[in-house]
Amino acid sequence: MKNSIATLALAGSLASALATIAAPAAFAAENNEKCYGVAMKGQNDCAAGKHDCAGKSTMDFDKGSFKLVPAGTCTSMKTPDGHGMLMPA
Amino acid sequence: MSLCTQTRFAAALADPAVAVPPGLTAWNGLQPQRRFAVYRNNVVVGLTGAIASRFPAAQTIVGEAFFSAMAAEFIRVHPPRSPLLLSYGDDFADFVERFEPANDIAYLPDVIRLEAARGKAYHAADVAPLDAAKLAALPPERLADLVFVPHPSLSILRSPHPLVTIWAMNAGEAELRSIEDWTAEDAMVARPHMTVEVRRMPPGGAVFLQALASGERLATAVEHAIENASAFDLSANLAGALQTGAFIAFH
Repeated sequence: MKNSIATLALAGSLASALATIAAPAAFAAENNEKCYGVAMKGQNDCAAGKHDCAGKSTMDFDKGSFKLVPAGTCTSMKTPDGHGMLMPA
Repeated sequence: MSLCTQTRFAAALADPAVAVPPGLTAWNGLQPQRRFAVYRNNVVVGLTGAIASRFPAAQTIVGEAFFSAMAAEFIRVHPPRSPLLLSYGDDFADFVERFEPANDIAYLPDVIRLEAARGKAYHAADVAPLDAAKLAALPPERLADLVFVPHPSLSILRSPHPLVTIWAMNAGEAELRSIEDWTAEDAMVARPHMTVEVRRMPPGGAVFLQALASGERLATAVEHAIENASAFDLSANLAGALQTGAFIAFH
């Protein structure tokens, strides 16, 4: 008996939790991609290796540092050094 | 270089009171003492910069001069054990706790722990968080025995100080003002996608997540949470855990 009450309580809580997060305002899935070679110096989000890390890039359009941009827009970005890339170079 | 030479060189590098190792020469014939002093200084400045970039809120709280002096002492006592600077300073909070000049700022070690957890989350593996729809499909009788797998970026911190409020004010996330309601705050840190998130936990929430993250069944975790705080709201805490991507799977 005790178990079935506990099950009911858990199921009820889970149902209302799922209802809460299904509300569109609360469900803000991030839809960004890492775009290399487009960040101005000091404006990068991060990248491994050359510096540690966000905002530490010392070169404009460093191909080893990325900036988060809306998914699908990276490779269409044009910089003086060429287009944005989805992988570091 | 023999191990003995290396050890002597490293010891002299870390402590200015130790004499420059014998046998050093400078390429331009100048005194090796001066060249070695430049090297010593670069090591301390570089590592201080690494510590400062990991703990910016702590630096804001105590000011740059105090922070640099504290970091220099830490570097002297705890030189890096790994070439990876991203984990350097993991034990900085424990050091600061015993660092007498900082004793007046009782909450400082916890702020440093929160920033260390943020760094850990930043560099943790990218894993997609648990899809809540999978939970909706479960038969209700399975819920009590669910065991969750924590996200690799997840940390839970419990503090007797208003930790999240203090951190947020000194990290530029909230406006600086006096804290009227000085209460304990627990924090959760995770990076479900690209951005590290810090959340203040509701009553019982930290105990609940800690229990789940250590592999307790859902029903047991709920019991622990209610024991810890009678106001524990299971529904809100489940929603929070799913929204912040605290877990990646269940079984």
